[in-house]
Amino acid sequence: MKRLSPEICRILAIDPTTCGFGFVVLEGQMSLVDWGVKRAKRDKNAKCLAKVLDLIRQYQPTVIVFEDCSGRESRRHERIKEFLEEVKNLATNNKIKTRKVSRHTLKKTFASERASSRYEIATVIAKRLPDLAPLLPPRRQPWMSEDARMHIFNAAAMVLALISPATASQQMAN
Amino acid sequence: MSFHKLPNYVRTYRKKSGFSQDELAFLVGAKTGAKVCRYERFARGPSLRAVLAFEAVFEIPAREIFAGIYRQIERDVHDRSVILIRRLTIAGRGYLTARKLELLRTICARTATRPTQRP
Repeated sequence: MKRLSPEICRILAIDPTTCGFGFVVLEGQMSLVDWGVKRAKRDKNAKCLAKVLDLIRQYQPTVIVFEDCSGRESRRHERIKEFLEEVKNLATNNKIKTRKVSRHTLKKTFASERASSRYEIATVIAKRLPDLAPLLPPRRQPWMSEDARMHIFNAAAMVLALISPATASQQMAN
Repeated sequence: MSFHKLPNYVRTYRKKSGFSQDELAFLVGAKTGAKVCRYERFARGPSLRAVLAFEAVFEIPAREIFAGIYRQIERDVHDRSVILIRRLTIAGRGYLTARKLELLRTICARTATRPTQRP
């Protein structure tokens, strides 16, 4: 996987949810610019795509990062796969590079920190990016649905998986 | 390839501090959060009072909060400095002119190292 050099990039990472998407915008030496969850009801893909376009216009990212759902093991819904394909087309039309990160790559990246579940990875992210720490939801119980804020951490995790390990460790030191 | 700085980082610093748009508007002396929202969407330029109020709230230098605007202004000052250097060089020499030229060259050297800001 080709790694990103964060000092020359402004990165927009998107992680779709059942009713919208979580996003983070980072620039320079992994400094957070914006983060949050965008929600949409009815005709979700079109509305979400409009919101992604708003983010692109506002932050003019150099790279857009999203999940690689092409693998056979991916259990993402068809709608989400279509949405991510549309995001890719949108990025291409706006001359923005795209990078995909699979769940497998994420797990491999964070395995060294003994983080394999989404919650464990989110905990690592909260330590590296302290501004996100207040958003860390409680650990999900079997009877609970996933907190939408978890998708902010998923988006951030994809960016951390793409940047060079040296930068990541430097960020940890700071 | 290098990215250019955003016109301002009001939203970033607001979210980091945990304030809502209405709360920040109250702090900087605006009537509603709508004004803060317009700053955050780069739809409105800040007044001098607003710039200083943001600096007082976040305890961050204004040139970091309004990084993109600052870079643009810095670039414009650089361009005007080059013109003034030419004018002063043609006009003649003297102690005062030498001092001015030294200052202008310092400005040029400082801004020349920064990446060019896209409009």
